This record gives sequence, C-alpha cells and structure tokens, in this order.
Amino acid sequence: MTKIELTVNGKIHSREVEDRALLVDVLRDQLQLTGTHIGCDTSQCGCCTVHVNGRAVKSCTMLAVQASGAEIVTIEGLAKGDQLHPVQQAFTDCHALQCGFCTPGMIMAISAFLKDNPHPTDDEIYHGLEGNLCRCTGYINIVKAVKRSAELMK
Amino acid sequence: MSDNHTANRREDLRLITGRGRYTADMNLPGQLHAAFLRADRGHAEIVSIDARPALTRPGVVAVFTGADAIAAQYTHFPNLMSFAGRNGGQILKPERPVLATKAVRYVGECIAMVVAESALAAQDALDAIEIEYKDLGAVVTMEDALAAGAPQLHANIPGNLCFEWETGDAKAVEQAFAKAAHITKLKVLTTRVAPSPMEPRGCTVSYDAASESYDIYTPSQGMMMLRKQCATLTGVPEEKLRVHSHDVGGSFGQRSGVYPEHGAQMIAAKRLGRPVKWVGSRAEGFMSDAHGRGLEIAGELALDSDGKFLAARYEFLADMGAYLTPTGSISHLRNPATLMTGVYKTPALYGSFKVVLTNTVPIAAYRGAGRPDIAYAVERLVDRAADELKIERAELRRRNFIPPNEFPYKTPTVGVYEPSDFAGCLEQALKTADWSGFEKRRAAAKQRGKLRGMGLSTIIEATGAGVFPKDQVAIEVDVTGKLTVYTVSLSSGQGHETTFTSVVADTLGIPHESVTLRECDPAHALIGNHTGGSRSMAGVGSVCKIAADKMIEQAKPLAAEELELEPSQVDYKGGVFRSHDGEKSISFEKLAQKLAGRQPHPMNTLAEATVGSTWPNGCHIAEVEIDPDTGVTEIASYVAVDDSGTVINHAIVEGQVHGGVTQGAGQIFHEHVIYDRASGQLQTGSFMDYCMPRAGLLRDMNVGDHPLPSKLNAIGAKGVGESGCTASLPALANAMTDALRPAGVGHLDMPYTPSKVWHSIQAAKRR
Amino acid sequence: MFQFNYVKAKSLTEAQALVAANPEAKLLSGGMTLIPTLKQRLAQPSHLVDIGGLSELRGIEVKGDQLVIGAATQHVEVATSAVVKKAIPALAYLANHIGDPQVRNRGTLGGSVANNDPAADYPAAVLALDATIVTNQREIAAADFFQGMFATALQEGEIVVRVKFNIPKRAAYEKFPHPASGYAMAGSFVAEGAKGLRVAITGAASGVFRWAAAEKALTTKLSADVLEDVPLATDDMNEDIHATREYRANLARVMTKRAVKKLLAA
Repeated sequence: MTKIELTVNGKIHSREVEDRALLVDVLRDQLQLTGTHIGCDTSQCGCCTVHVNGRAVKSCTMLAVQASGAEIVTIEGLAKGDQLHPVQQAFTDCHALQCGFCTPGMIMAISAFLKDNPHPTDDEIYHGLEGNLCRCTGYINIVKAVKRSAELMK
Repeated sequence: MSDNHTANRREDLRLITGRGRYTADMNLPGQLHAAFLRADRGHAEIVSIDARPALTRPGVVAVFTGADAIAAQYTHFPNLMSFAGRNGGQILKPERPVLATKAVRYVGECIAMVVAESALAAQDALDAIEIEYKDLGAVVTMEDALAAGAPQLHANIPGNLCFEWETGDAKAVEQAFAKAAHITKLKVLTTRVAPSPMEPRGCTVSYDAASESYDIYTPSQGMMMLRKQCATLTGVPEEKLRVHSHDVGGSFGQRSGVYPEHGAQMIAAKRLGRPVKWVGSRAEGFMSDAHGRGLEIAGELALDSDGKFLAARYEFLADMGAYLTPTGSISHLRNPATLMTGVYKTPALYGSFKVVLTNTVPIAAYRGAGRPDIAYAVERLVDRAADELKIERAELRRRNFIPPNEFPYKTPTVGVYEPSDFAGCLEQALKTADWSGFEKRRAAAKQRGKLRGMGLSTIIEATGAGVFPKDQVAIEVDVTGKLTVYTVSLSSGQGHETTFTSVVADTLGIPHESVTLRECDPAHALIGNHTGGSRSMAGVGSVCKIAADKMIEQAKPLAAEELELEPSQVDYKGGVFRSHDGEKSISFEKLAQKLAGRQPHPMNTLAEATVGSTWPNGCHIAEVEIDPDTGVTEIASYVAVDDSGTVINHAIVEGQVHGGVTQGAGQIFHEHVIYDRASGQLQTGSFMDYCMPRAGLLRDMNVGDHPLPSKLNAIGAKGVGESGCTASLPALANAMTDALRPAGVGHLDMPYTPSKVWHSIQAAKRR
Repeated sequence: MFQFNYVKAKSLTEAQALVAANPEAKLLSGGMTLIPTLKQRLAQPSHLVDIGGLSELRGIEVKGDQLVIGAATQHVEVATSAVVKKAIPALAYLANHIGDPQVRNRGTLGGSVANNDPAADYPAAVLALDATIVTNQREIAAADFFQGMFATALQEGEIVVRVKFNIPKRAAYEKFPHPASGYAMAGSFVAEGAKGLRVAITGAASGVFRWAAAEKALTTKLSADVLEDVPLATDDMNEDIHATREYRANLARVMTKRAVKKLLAA
C-alpha cells in the first residue's frame, strides 16, 4: 500500500492505495467518480480517458501511484458549474452520443486534442480519435461535434 | 407530431457530464465480488475439480462450482423456438449448467466462481482452483462439426445437429427451375462477429430472505424479457425477481438473453446473504458474450428469358455455438424464412435449414438477427444474375419488384408485406448517388491506379413481433401535474426518453418538459416486450400515442365536471379543454393539478396494444475505391434511402442509420471472430485482434427518407434500428464485387480485409 | 495484475541500485506495454522501478551532427518538438504515428527501444539512422542493439538513458498500421545519411531489419521504381490471422516505395 495525493477536478484527495491499483479504479471506486468508464483491458477503447496534467491519458493504463501529485480532470470536472464545456455542448447539439458509454472518454480526448489543434482537418480529427472506440454512432456525428466544438471555442 | 431536427436529447445531459448510471457504477452495501474461472480450451471433459485451495486465499468468502449449479437445478436455459422442425421434430436442447460440470464446450465457458471481499481478491484466487481435463477435440466450424466421426458436443444431439426445418414449396420450386431460361447460384457466408457494445457485461444480485426474492442489477434490453428468462432458468417465480437496468451501454441483441453468470450470482447471493457483484472484462466479453451471425447460405435463383424471377431456393446452415441462447435459433430461422423473397415477386420459394452446434461461444440475435444475412444472400444473388445475364443491376431489380398494387403482399413462405414503394426508394437513391454518372468516376479512379466500384441493395425487414402478447404503457400524473410515462422496453442508446416523451407531449399538446419517461422500473412491471428487432417505436411508441389519446378521453369528463359542462360539450386541443363555444376552458396542467392528491390520480392511464411486425425497407448505395497496391478500401460515398414509416425524430433516426451502416461496414471490411481450427482457441480475443470500426471508416453518409407511414400501428412507424446493417452488408459487398470485377476477381466472402483483397488481385493476375 | 511493490526512483543511480538489488524488478517508464502486460497477468515482477520522471532521462537537443533524445521523453514531445521537426522531420512524423494520442502522451522512446516489439515504430528509425543507444553502462550501436523479437543487447540492470540519432541529409517514414491495434504491420524508414542510404523495415518480420538489397538498388538510383523487383525474402516475414507472409512482404515494399517518394518530394 502506498499513500498518494491526487488533485482531482480541483480537489485534493489523499488515499492509501494498493501499488497495483489503476488510476481508473481509484477514481471510480475510491472517489466515486464513475463517469470515467472501463470498456476494455488492452488500452484500445479510450472510455477511461482523463486529463493528467493537461494531457489525455487512458486511466486504465496508468497506476494510481504514478499519478500521485498530478492534476487530474475527469468528465465530472469539465463543465464550469452549469456551463457545459464546448465539447459537451457540441456532443448534445450534434447527436454525437447514443448509449453514452464511450462519451466521457471521447469528450476528454477531444477536449485535449483541440487544445493542441484548434482547427483540425477531417484527417486530423480521425487521427485524433484513434484512441477511442464507439459502437453506436458510426463516428459521423462525433466528427461533426469535433468541428462544432472548434467553432464554439473560437 | 413535431419533428425535432435538432438532437439535444433528454438523456444527453447526464451522459455528457459523467452522471449516467451503468451497472458497474452501482454498489450495494455489504456487497461481495465475484470472479469466474473460465475454460481455457474448446472441448474437454472435466475429470476433476478441486476448488478448496481457493478458499484459503486472502479475502475469499466462497467458491462455487458445477456441483452447486446441479444442486440448484440451474441447468436448462430458455429457448424461444416456437415451431416444430422437419417431420415434426422438436429442437434438441443441450443441458447447460450455469457452471460447467462434466465438460467444457467453448473457450470462456464458466467453470467456477470465486466470491471475495474485493474484485482483485476474487481474481487472485482463480488460479488456486485445480482442474484436471481430458481433451475431447474441438470442432469450431460447421463443416467439422457435421463431418462423420466428429467429436460430439452433447450426448442428446447426434451429429451436432440440433434442428432441421424446411419452408416453402419444394416441388413448385423444382418445377420452376426445370423450365428456367437461366439459373444463378451463389453460396455466401455471413461471418461470426462479436457485437461488442462498449459497456462490458456485468451484474449485481442481492437476495432478500424475508420475501425470498432477488434484485438483479444488470444491463438488459428490457426487464420483463430478462425476468421471464431468469425465471425459466432458475425456477424462481417471476414475481420474486426484480430486474434493474438503468443506463445501458449498447446492446445490439447481445443483451437479449439470460447468461450463466446471472444464475451463478443468484446462487451465491442467496447462499451468502450478501449482494454479489461482477463486472466483466473485455477479454471475458470476447469469450463469453453471445456472438452474432454465423450463417452459410447457398442460394439458387431461376429466371425466365426476360430476367423475371421464377423461383428461388436457399439452404441454410446456422452455427449456434456450443449451446442454444434464447434468441439465436429462432431469429436465424424465422427471419430469413420470412424475407427469402426479398423485395421481389418470386412465385415459388423453398428454404431448408440446419442448426449446428460447434465448440464456440453461443450465438444470439445481433442487430438484424438473420435479416442482414438473408438480404445479403438475396442481393448478392440478384447482382450475380444481373452480371451473368448482362442486365443492368437496377433494371433487373425494377423488373422484379413487388408492384405497388399487390400490397398487402402475401409472400410464398410466411409473412404479409405492408404497402411499400421499392421502386420509389430505388429511384431516389440512384439519383442521390449519381448512379448513371458512375463510369466516369470509375475511369478517373483508374487513372489514379485505383479500382472503383458501386453497389446497391434494395431490402426489406420484418420487425420483431415480440415475445409477449401485448405492449402496455402507463402514464401517471404527479402532484404537480407533471406526467411520468412507464414502459418495460429499454433504451440502450435509441433515445426513448426523448422520442416516447415527445409522442406523449405532442399528442397532449403540452410542453415536452412536462413529461418524463421511466423505463424498467420494477415497481411498474407492465406486460411488454424488450427493445429488439427494431420494434420499440412501432410497438411501444405507438402505445404511448394510444395512452395519451386515452388519457384525453379519460380526462374529458373530469374537465367537464370542473367546467360544469357535459363531457360531450368539451373539446380538447393544444393542451386545453374547452367548451364548444370557447367560453370556458381549463388547461391540461391545471386540471391535473386540481385533481392531484386523489389516490390514484383519476387521469392515470394504462393503455395497451398488440403490435406485430412492420416492414421497413429501403435502398442503399455504396461507392468504394480500392488501392490495389495494399488492398485497402476506402468508402467513397454512401447513400441510404429508408422507408422507416413515420419519423418522430430525424436526428435519432439518422443516428441509427449511421450506426447500423457502420456496423455493417465493420463486418464487411474487418470484423471476424476467428477460432483456431486445430486447437479450438479464440484468436480474436481483444480489440488488438478484433478490428472494430474507427473514425473515418465512413467519412460521411447521405441519409434520405422515403416514408410510407405504416397502417399497422397507431403512430405509423416502421422501425429503423437494424436497417443499416441489413442494407449495408449487400450494398458494400456488391460495390466491392463491382470494383474487383475488372481486375478479374469474382465473389469473395466477407470480410474484405486488405490482405484478402490484395491476394485476390494477385491471384487473378497469375491466372 | 499480481501484487508488486512500486518504487519511484529519485535518480538513475537509485534506479540502478534498486534493479540490482531486486532481480525480479522491472523498470517502468511510460508503461504503455508493461501495464497491459501486467493486467493480463503475463508478468509477475517483484518491484516496479519508475524511471519515467527522471530529469536525467529527458530532453531533446542537437549536439553536432546528432539529435539526442532522453529515454523518458514521451512520443508526443518528439512529435511536436521544433528541434526534432527541424533536424529529422521524419522522426517527428514517426512519433506522431505511434499508437494513438493517449499512448503518445505516456509512451517513451526508451521504453519502445528497450522493449523491441517487432511491430514498434522507433526501432526502424534507430536502425536506419544508425543511432547509438546510450545506457547507464555503455554505448551500443543500433546494429548490435536489436536482436530479434523482444530481444536486445541490454544486460540485466542496464538502463537506456538516451538515444543519439545521426541527423541524415533527408529521411522519410511510411507505415501501414494494423487495422485493429495500430502497430506497424509494416513500416519502412528510409534515410540518406553520412554513411549512405539505409532502409529499415519494422513490423513485417520477427524484428526490425535492414533491407540490404533495397539499399543497394537505391544507392544506384534513388527512385521508387527500382524497388519493383528487388528481392525480399518472404519466408522471413511474420504470418498471422491478419496478414500472410506474402502480404507483409508486399507492404514492406510498398511502404518503402512510398517513403522514397516522400523523401524525394521533401
């Protein structure tokens, strides 16, 4: 067991965790932040994507102990009060979600991606979405939502 | 009915802010955690099993094995096959204990369950269980399973053949073939795929000793269907089972049945007196979630000298995996049989079916459930006939469409088609896709060194008639005058909270925000079907309309009383009850508020209807471009024109088409569950090897609408959930065949992987 | 995952001592390969020694005619570095095509090189650019470093510290990603450097290799056309459910042609 300190969505949390505990499990089971989902075990689906020190990371492929001291933002911390993040707004505007299970990871991946590339081309969007799987939407409306987000963020 | 073009679904806010409630997100006080030991081989006798060492591991509370399944008599899974086979034979059902006892029959089958204080502790203890196996030799293909001397999966199922069935008129077909000017033959495969909804399977079960009842928290497609199946499996009366499903991360048919884990956790929860939670991993999903498709279809089409269809016959081999799921066998027989004639007038039809067991994951309904398979067989056959007879592909279809004046059309097998406009869908799609301008684009692609092809499909589906005799919807009024609609179907992405509430609100003429939907509330155990077979809008959505209409009629006398009028003097429009002269009025909301507090609220309504199959149809056109250097295909354009009947919400309908077509494209280009034929091992056990569609596979799609509202339900909806899969398999395969023809390549079975496409081009060069 | 003890090393020296003291310890950098392996219970280390945060292992700089990159430098940093883009743009391109964005945000050069996955991207660049792998003990030439599937010249306790890439006159990388995993089904790094032209192929065979016949042909005439009939031993290629040997050999050839075209166009 190791004691870790995480800043999650602006709040500092201290926890004793097993060394083998994954960041996603600590977020979900210890901090009750269940918006971060687990969709696979081989780091392919991206459902567990969170921001660690501003970068999109698959929280199923990072030990909680590795994240000690880091600033973490999860889907629950993305909106500012009632003000949705532009990517969240674009997702509902463009019908970019159906079952909603991949959605938190998608939104976290895209919000990080747009920080580095605020005006992506279609091909850049596909490249930026390579780490996330969706089974419902066929991605067409997700790509539209990325473009819409870019507009909203102008 | 309003047509909401913008999405902003009612369910979106919680899902985009991380406040959805999926099964794994829920925890019960005092819960324990389960982990399953699964077979690591395809077919073996369990010579001995010793689970005791696992009990000594830290945190372990109990271990359960097949002996517990036998003691509980949880050994027979429900199967919905509703008709007899050839010579009156019933389907042979294998015994399937929820934890394997004498033998394992597919990689991933549950053998034992460890229950511990934490999920990790339960997983850690699995390797302490000692098992001695004796290998029996796995058969993972239907060919191997049916071969003489093949290993037998079940003692009561000789030759691994559990059902044979035929439909149609063999003699009439034979006579028609004898006088045919031309016969086209083609054998096709619809490959075994893994539905893979993004939310892994999971379940938490708690047992209440006082009432001898169970609460089962699990993703499902509707609580009554799952409840009934759990009851059949376990013998626990239905009223002692409460199924709780909240947000569900996709289903696609994979969640249409009860699974062994449900039963095993029921045993544990009762024995231990504490809730037992299990959340499956994706690896477990690949090796134990029901797979889909897996049909081999050999078709023959007889035509006269004008290209008119005279007769068709199909031989089906349906792979069911090692055991029968509730839905797999019936959907893979009845749906193809119903749709064997496609959208064409075929005077004589005959189909014969064999249902085969193999050492693989059991197969269940998967988005379309036999409909994409038969559409694929028919439409590939029609394209091949056109090619052989040198008749333009759209023209051959036009010549054979069931003409508008012949509806309702009774097919030569089973089913009566409702009015459809096949030619109208075709012409609209051809125009949108610029079908006639294609050869120019093909030539331009050739200049760039690419092989371009175009393909179409014209298809029809029969939506699910349902397992329960009717669908009920309840609307209740709360003290503030707001409405709650209760159904027992369940959205797993289809957006019922948005569409069902808009049906009710628009019928009543009240704001959408005044209506809330609650699906699958165990306290409202209505009679009704699950969400599946594209039926929810036509089935449950139409009962929402009936319920709202009924509510108005029920409220009129109450409004009359308030207004001091006779009920016959009251009209209802735009959310307001009014006297004929308009002098007196009271709004719906006011009336509801005034009457609040009476128990039950006198405006509460229960409505029901029996809604059978509707007949969505359409035409899809795909254009593809192949890079012959690598065998990689790009989908250059995709046009979908669907008759889904009345559309309640265009954004949601388009989303369903996008998703369905993409799943079809996934199957056509990449997805394929592969088992090693020699060892029986699953080779596509993760997203590293099982190729899911990704962003960019379909860059865009032109979704058109050609609605002919259905007269078979109150709302006019025909359904849309599965048409994307059904139409895209043949449209894309026909486009690929068209693209490859100039390179000298004939029919290829799906998936058109880059390696396969490249090899086929190389082989043609050598010929 | 089995249990293990996690230790965050404060210095390279400490990491060295920890690995020496615990023969069953494993080094952890970005963890993009190791953590999935642990999750599948395919490895059972006693300790994980985290060297990902060590400043000694980070940094990107040009030193003379070499581009030197610290082992713990993440792919995203290489992909977006102005220094890399100027010195060896093909290397930035390669880094930008490893895995997916989330993987590039965590995965490191040293981890990729030390793991030597036969389908990893970096080994192609290391070999084609005649790079030197600097460890805590010595310097190893790329040619000696990669020794087939997951095998390298690294000894017990040896830690990759940085990689020194020779800056070529020009170079290009082209990759055919595996449609499911994103790893290279075949990747070709073509570099025109001080010691001549090199072609390194990854993903196609049991380990990264130099395609000598192609190098010879391209040295005679630097044009994609000359590769048409250059021999490439199909028997040495990998075969699995996704691609045959012949197909992989074809991809290696096609990717090399495309890399040459790209190199010439640059």
